[in-house]
Formats: sequence, structure tokens, C-alpha cells
Amino acid sequence: MNANPLMPTLGRLVEVRDLATEIKLLRVEMQNGGGADFQNFQPGQFVFVSAFGLGEAPFGIANAAGRGPLVDFAVARLGSVTTGLHELDVGDQLGVRGPLGNSFPMAKFKGRNLVVLGGGIGGAPLRPVIQHVLDHRGDYGKLTILWAARQPSLLIFTDEYAEWQAAPDTELHLTVDKPEDGWGHSVGLITQLLEKVSPSTRNTTAVTCGPPVMIRNVTRMLAGMGFAPEDSYVTLEARMHCGLGKCGRCNLGEKLVCVDGPVFSMAEVGNLLESY
Amino acid sequence: MRKTNADGKSWLISQAELEAWLDSISNARSLIAPRQVSGTVLYRPVSKINEIAWPGGRPGKSSASPRPVLSVKEIFFPPTERLFKIQKTGQEIHLEEAYPDWETVVFGVRPCDSRGVKILDALFLDTNPVDSFYARRRANTTIIGFACKEMGPTCFCTSVGGAPDDAQDVDIMLYETEAGYLAEAVTERGRFLIPAGEWRETTNSPETSITIEQFPVPENGKWPEHFNDTYWTRMSERCLSCRACAYVCPTCHCFAIRDELIGPGEFDRIRCWDSCAGANYRRLAGGHRGRPEKAERLRNRFFCKFYYYAEQTGLGNTSACTGCGRCIDVCPVGVDITEVLQDLERPA
Amino acid sequence: MSFEPKIIAFLCTWCSYTGADSAGIARIKSPANIRAIRVPCSGRVSPELVLRAFDQGADGVLVLGCHIGECHYETGNHRAAKRLPILQSLLTFAGLETQRLRLDWVSASEGERFARIATEFSDSIRELGPAHWKVPAEPRAVQEDAFTWGHETVPYPPMDFASKTEAIRRKAKELLESGQVGCVIGYELGPRQRTRPTFVYSPEDTGRLVWNPDCSHNLTSYLPDKLKAHSPGQPAPAVAVVVKPCDSRAINVQLAENQYARKQVHVIGLTCEGLRDKQGNMQARCITCQEAAPVVCDTLIEGDSSGFIPRLSSSTDETLVELENAAPAERLEFWLSQFDRCIRCYACRQACPLCNCPTCLYERDDSTWVGLGIGLNEKRTFHLGRAYHLAGRCVGCDACERACPVNLPISLLNQKLAGEIEKAFGFRAGVAVASSPIVTVLSGEYKED
Repeated sequence: MNANPLMPTLGRLVEVRDLATEIKLLRVEMQNGGGADFQNFQPGQFVFVSAFGLGEAPFGIANAAGRGPLVDFAVARLGSVTTGLHELDVGDQLGVRGPLGNSFPMAKFKGRNLVVLGGGIGGAPLRPVIQHVLDHRGDYGKLTILWAARQPSLLIFTDEYAEWQAAPDTELHLTVDKPEDGWGHSVGLITQLLEKVSPSTRNTTAVTCGPPVMIRNVTRMLAGMGFAPEDSYVTLEARMHCGLGKCGRCNLGEKLVCVDGPVFSMAEVGNLLESY
Repeated sequence: MRKTNADGKSWLISQAELEAWLDSISNARSLIAPRQVSGTVLYRPVSKINEIAWPGGRPGKSSASPRPVLSVKEIFFPPTERLFKIQKTGQEIHLEEAYPDWETVVFGVRPCDSRGVKILDALFLDTNPVDSFYARRRANTTIIGFACKEMGPTCFCTSVGGAPDDAQDVDIMLYETEAGYLAEAVTERGRFLIPAGEWRETTNSPETSITIEQFPVPENGKWPEHFNDTYWTRMSERCLSCRACAYVCPTCHCFAIRDELIGPGEFDRIRCWDSCAGANYRRLAGGHRGRPEKAERLRNRFFCKFYYYAEQTGLGNTSACTGCGRCIDVCPVGVDITEVLQDLERPA
Repeated sequence: MSFEPKIIAFLCTWCSYTGADSAGIARIKSPANIRAIRVPCSGRVSPELVLRAFDQGADGVLVLGCHIGECHYETGNHRAAKRLPILQSLLTFAGLETQRLRLDWVSASEGERFARIATEFSDSIRELGPAHWKVPAEPRAVQEDAFTWGHETVPYPPMDFASKTEAIRRKAKELLESGQVGCVIGYELGPRQRTRPTFVYSPEDTGRLVWNPDCSHNLTSYLPDKLKAHSPGQPAPAVAVVVKPCDSRAINVQLAENQYARKQVHVIGLTCEGLRDKQGNMQARCITCQEAAPVVCDTLIEGDSSGFIPRLSSSTDETLVELENAAPAERLEFWLSQFDRCIRCYACRQACPLCNCPTCLYERDDSTWVGLGIGLNEKRTFHLGRAYHLAGRCVGCDACERACPVNLPISLLNQKLAGEIEKAFGFRAGVAVASSPIVTVLSGEYKED
């Protein structure tokens, strides 16, 4: 008899961190280490997290494997499942199903420069890329991080910026749409920041994640700057229910975000983003 | 043209023999057949043979009759399925799964319906991970097919690679003859069910069914060039986004998953039918709603049926449409899939 | 073991809840099986709450508010007084005993009154026994012949509609040529010669429009979406729509609910001789129709025939009366056997010109009012809830019933409630531009501009 692929593995919430206004980082210890599947999840993969009684929803895994036994997710409180997750206490059990989806081709990125663009909570699935690069610093070229949010209180992982900036050959640029008192960095959209930073396209791959509007605008700008479609990657969010390619909900043209993605190169989905 | 996987043996049986056989099946295990349900024909369990809504209304007569409004898909992929039970005590969670006991025979399945099951197999069984619920029902169900002597007014199976007497996708096929039925065992499982010693063997072949004229359907690879046509806006104006077409379709398979409260600290995680034709299908928690226009939704439904599904499941140049015509029957405002297909094939 | 009823009591914080408190303080005995839920006002007790309580196993629901004239919010209890009896008649029609829902008034100082009412109610529920409302999980036996329409069939007489077709085409051409409207919504013959809705944008195209006995669909269901403003600064869209008298009533309800402005729609109204059903007979709703001419109209098109088929019988009403006279358990069983085959596709809701909520209450992701599953409990709650939301708004066009792929007799629910509203308020939906008497208008009444 086949195992039920929709059955979650149980995990226990061991730490909750406030990342930003209404955004929390949940750190989960998988039961029995989560088995083989969870030992080496790859940057870009996602899981379904269950707030039992309310439902489950997909979240990008927000850390790189190998940094400890915990699995991180960034949860913005927007609906019933995310509210349920926000209301969990340390010690509560929850469900985790995965890791699902494909991952960033980190092997292909070796030796190249990387430009990482994260908008709002879209930065969460990019954190494993940053962490992977930092943990294997010698394998990768220059790392340029552009990090944006609507306002300073919505920037995530602020307590890690120092670590990122301190790494060799690594730059971090921040921008917000609406500054607050004491904001000393750029003001404006991430596209404006991108224009200002103007990274070289030579031997460089760009990786973008954020709200749909941002993905469309940034990837268009990157293409205009000379990034070839094979060198521009996105990770997409979509409304999902099964995450296994069965329920049909997350399709982008003939591609399913949950099994063909969530990581795509623009060569694969460039023409499909209009309906995203 | 009739296609069959039979092992070469056929039997001729009378109406009485068919009824006696079905009777014995329903005594030994669960039998599902077309049945009148307050004036609507649907696949339902039967315990007595006179409960069957015989194709054609009267046994032995022409088989151009109301088919069940819902396809046989609801047997393998029911409208609501419990995935597992959740018990919450304090901080602890306990999950319990239970599979339904299932040993079933379904009778009266037209080739368009059984073709639909084969198409769903491509996703639920042949693409990893295997769907354990569908797999269990599929493994424990025997399909007794019933060939159509002629195609109905909204049928178009022959235009999408099927045929009214296509026996490929069933376990046993029955063809109507003057004196009763000709039966073929298409699979081993079907063979097992046939009381071979009691039935009269024959070398007769069944009559060819009467088909209606085919029309050309755009090949899978041709669909992308139609994506940006303004045609979709025009043809979808009358659509109500009611989703009836998807629910009666033998191959539409989209579903939603939800936790439902059943008692204090007790929940069922269920999955139930959904459809991309619905306006809120792609709503995100933050409020962003994908495919807000009817044109986008209807286009997606057609593209999925005739292009995406085959791409996702490796079906090749085949559509996921079986030509049963139910969507034409139930659409309250006359959206007609055959009209759309023929419009797309017409030179611009 | 004797049966202890589970009773949910909705008590308003200003009066009845305090009344219950004073009963406690004065040590007046009240039944212990009453589970109190404090609400700001009895007017807040929406039908979904009551239905949910019964769905989840309550044996009785008690709603207690301030005395009329004493409501803290002035008219909150008026709402309760109007809405709950209508809900009660719906629940009774669906097979719940009438006495299981009770609305009454208790003030803050009336501890004794609270105790008396609570005791009376609890005793009456105990006597009635457990409510059999919640559907058990086991699969039901199939009901083969549970329900057949009782109405007499009237064959559809041969009629000629050429003149009406011509008149519609002429008018449509005129309106499109003059630019008065951007689109004419009418009927056309589709492939397979089926009559279906169509949208005509250019005068050259008006030859597509027809009028025939199969022009069934209520075209006003397209108006709210078609006429909603697209961007600020853009002129509001204007369309023409072909309507029968029943359809035209829906326009009045849509106007009362500010779905669009009157000037946005040019109503091409037709007098109607009745329509044909799939068997070639007169449609049931036409046999009992009371409107000969559209109630709102810009262009009136009358036919050659002398028109209107008079009301021949109250045949659909007969089925209604039969159900009303049956025992509650029989009614319960009837409706369960009907909803059993519902597939919750929502075709009924989508076909309805008045179901316009951006997110239907019964399709919410948080499943607050009903579960998402396609189970019997859920399906019944959806249909009863929808019928309730249409009380005083439904115009009886039966688009819902015609759209249903499994032939559910949902027009029975709408007819029942239309009758109750007429009995209680003397009101018929859509005859004039006015809201349903049980709908609260929060931002001011409709104004023609």
C-alpha cells in the first residue's frame, strides 16, 4: 500500500523570533530529525507547515541545511493559517510536509558572482542562498545583496546584516519605500536601488524574490541591463494546496510551481509571468 | 474503429444471464451502477438489480440514453475525502489515517468515462508521488464497461481519439446485440469475474457503433500560439464561473485541502473538489487574486485540458478531454467546447 | 439516562445578559444546561450563527434581547424581531421543530423573567427530545422516487415571435449606432440551435439577437460586473439588456442595492407569454407568474399575441403546501434526500442575479459558517443560508434551479420565503426599487440620481 504523501511529519516549535511587524521566524525541530528527507534540504525548497485545525500553507525554508538541526520559516500574519502559526507557543507540535519543489542550482552558480534581490518577506527563501554562499565562500564570486521593504519595520533578518556585510567580497544595500526617523540608507523601490547599484552582468547570476509586481518589474529591469534569461532566476510563490503537483492550483502555463519550481530561470517562465 | 485488449475470448449472454451475474456480484461485494436519484441518473451503490437505471431505459434497447450526470471519476476521486484525523491535546498532536474498505465493481461505464479514469491515472498513479487514496480505490475496483451503439447529440469522443466501443480502459466490455450482450474480458481482473463455465463462448464480433462526423481538434503543440487571442474574452463573456462543467467532467481533478472541526480538539483534514473556473481559485491571503478575469480562467481551463495536463503527465499529443459532452449538457449559458475547438482550428 | 438538552442562549450584554446575572445574584434557579453567549445586541444574532449552533448539535437556541423600544442601539432588536421569525419559518420548512428556536425580550432587572423563560424553554426542549438536525456521518440510502414535481403540465402553444425579434434588433441597432450604450446583452442561437446569452457590441452584429420561447436565462445577472466602474475618471459603462417581466424585477433589487446607477442601463423590456421547458411544456414559474409587463423599462416591446398566459393553477404551490403540512421529520428527510445529490458546484449562486458578494459567506477560507467539504450537513447549510440571504430579494426567476446540474428543487425554498416575507411585510421583491424588509441599510437609502 502506498504511503500517504499528504501526511505531514510532526515537528516541535523550539524558538520564535520576531522578524518584523507581524512577521515571525518559526524554528522547528523535526521529529526523529525528519528522516532522510530533512537532512540535506537544498536552498530554494519549500515545505507545507500545518497549524493543525486550521490548515496548512507553503513556506520557503528560510535557512541552509548544515547550520544546525532546526528548520526555519518566516511567517507573515495574513490569513487564518498564518494567524494560527503566530499563535503557537514554544513547545507546541506542528506539522511539516516536505521538503518539496526544486532548488537553486548552487553548483551551477559556483565561480560566478551573485546578485540577490529580496523584497519584503520574499527575502526569506533567499536567506538559504546567502547562508550557503557564506558557508562556502570560496566557491562563489562577489555577492551583492539588495534588500528592500515598504518601511524599516518590515525589513527582515536585520540582526544578520552585520554578519552578511562582514563576509569577504560581500555588499549589502538596503532601501525602503517610506523611511522612518533615523533611516540612513536609500529610499525608493528596489528597482531604483538596482539602478543605483548597477551591478555588472559579467559572469553574474541574479536571483529575485518578492511580491508579484516586484518580480515582474525587477526581472524586466535585469533583462534590460543585460542579464540573459538563463542568468536570471526567480523563486515564485503561488497559492498551493497539495504541493505535489496533484491539485492543479499553482500552474503557470504548463508548469507547476510546486514541482517544476518554485525556482525558475527567466528562460523557463519569462513568457508566463504576465498571468502571474 | 474498435480497439481492444481482449485475450481473444468472447461470450454471448442474455439479459437474464446478465442480471443474474450482476446479482451475484452485488451479493458478494459492493456494486455501483447508474441509478435514478430523484429523477437524476447518477452512479450509486445498488443492492437489487431492479435499482439499476438501464442504459436505454429498457434492457436490450438502444443505448442512446441519459448517461449519469456525474462521471465515474467520483468513485475513484470522491467529492470529499478524509485524508487523516487530527487530535490535539495540549501541545501534542496525534494523526490517524484510515482508508475506506473498498472492494467494488462498477457497471455501465461508457468508454468516455473509462478513458477519463485512464487519464486521471496518468496524474494520480503514474506521476510521483502516487496518490494513496486514488491508488487504493483504483486497485480494488473492477470496471464493467458498456459500449454505446451510437453517439449522443453532445458526444464527440471520436474527435479526441476515443470511440463509442473502445474497450481499452475497462476490465470487461459489454456490447449490445439483438439477443442480449456480447462480453469480452479485457484484463485479467475482468477475466476473474466472468463465470466462464456458465456462459456460451462465441466467435462473433460486436457490431460497429454508429459514429458522428469528427471535427479537427488543435494539436497540443498548437495551443500556445492561441494564448493571447482576444477570442478568449469574447467567448467567456457569457460564462458564469459556475464550475458545473469541471465538476461533471471525467478528468477535471483540482482539489482543495482544509482542516474541519469535528469535535473538541478533533479535526479532519479533508480534500474536496475545486475548479480553476471559480473566481477565488487563486486568491492569496494578502489579497492578490490571480486570474481575476473570466477570460483568463476559461482560457486556463481549456489550455489545461488540451495542453497543460498532457505536458505535466507525459501523455504526449493527447488531450485530457474524452469527448463525453457533459460540460455542454450542464452549462446554463451555452458555452460549447466543440464550438471553441472548431473556432480555434478555423483559419483566422 | 434522561436527556439533558444542549441549549445555546444568545444574550445581549445590555439587557438579557444582565438579566441573567441578576437572576443569579438573587439566587433564582435557572436551568444549568443553558450555555450563554454574550452578544452586544440581539440584532447581532445573524441567521448564520443560529444555523451554525444547530449544525453543531444544539437542541435549542434561545435569543433574548432588550424590550422593543429599550434597545441600547435603538433599532437593533427591531432587526432581530424581523429577521429571526423569517429564519424560523425557513428552519421549520427544512424539518426543524419550530419550538427549538425562540426569540424573547428580557430587561436587565428582570431576573425572574429570565429564569422563567429559560426554564420554560429548557423544559419544552426536554420534552421534544434531542434535535435530529445534525446529519450523521454514515452514508445514506439512495432515495429513488423521493420527490417528483406535482405541477400539471401545460403544453406550450405554438407562438410566433418574429415581430419581437425584429423589434429587439431594431432597438439594439439604434442604441449602438447612437452610442447610447456600448453593449447590448440579449439572446442568440448558439451552435446546436440552443438559445443562449450574447453580447453585441456593433450595430452590424445585431442580426444575431433573437427572441424565442427558450430565452430563459436571466440576463440581469451580468449587469453588476458589466457596469461596475473600471477606473476613476472613466465614464461609467452603459449597456442595454433584454429582459422579461421576471428579470426586470431583479433590476429593481440591484438598483436598491446600489450595484449600479439607473442611467447605466437601458432596459429593453418585453411582455411575456411564458417560456418553454426542456420537455416542450410551459415552464412552471410561468404558469404562476403574476407580471404581464416589465416593472422597469426604457423601451417596451409587445408582441402580436394578446400576451400573457393567465395563472392557471398554483401547482408549484401545491407541492409547497404538501410539504408544509407534512410532519417535521418527513420534511427533514425530504430535504436531506434532495441535498444528498448536490455537488456544491455553486452554479445556482453564480446564475443568480442577486448573489453578488465578492466572497460568498459560504466559501470563506476560514470556513467560519460552514465547512468546505461536499457533505450533506454543509450542503444543506449552504442552500438554507443562501435562501435566507435572498429572502425579500429573490424575484423567482428560477435561474438557480435551471442551472443546477442535478435538478435540485431549490425554487421551493425561495418560494417559501417569498411567501413568508409577503405575509409578514406585504412586500414583494423587485416590484419597486426598495430593499428587502429584513435587510439593514447602513449607509442611507437608495436615491435616484
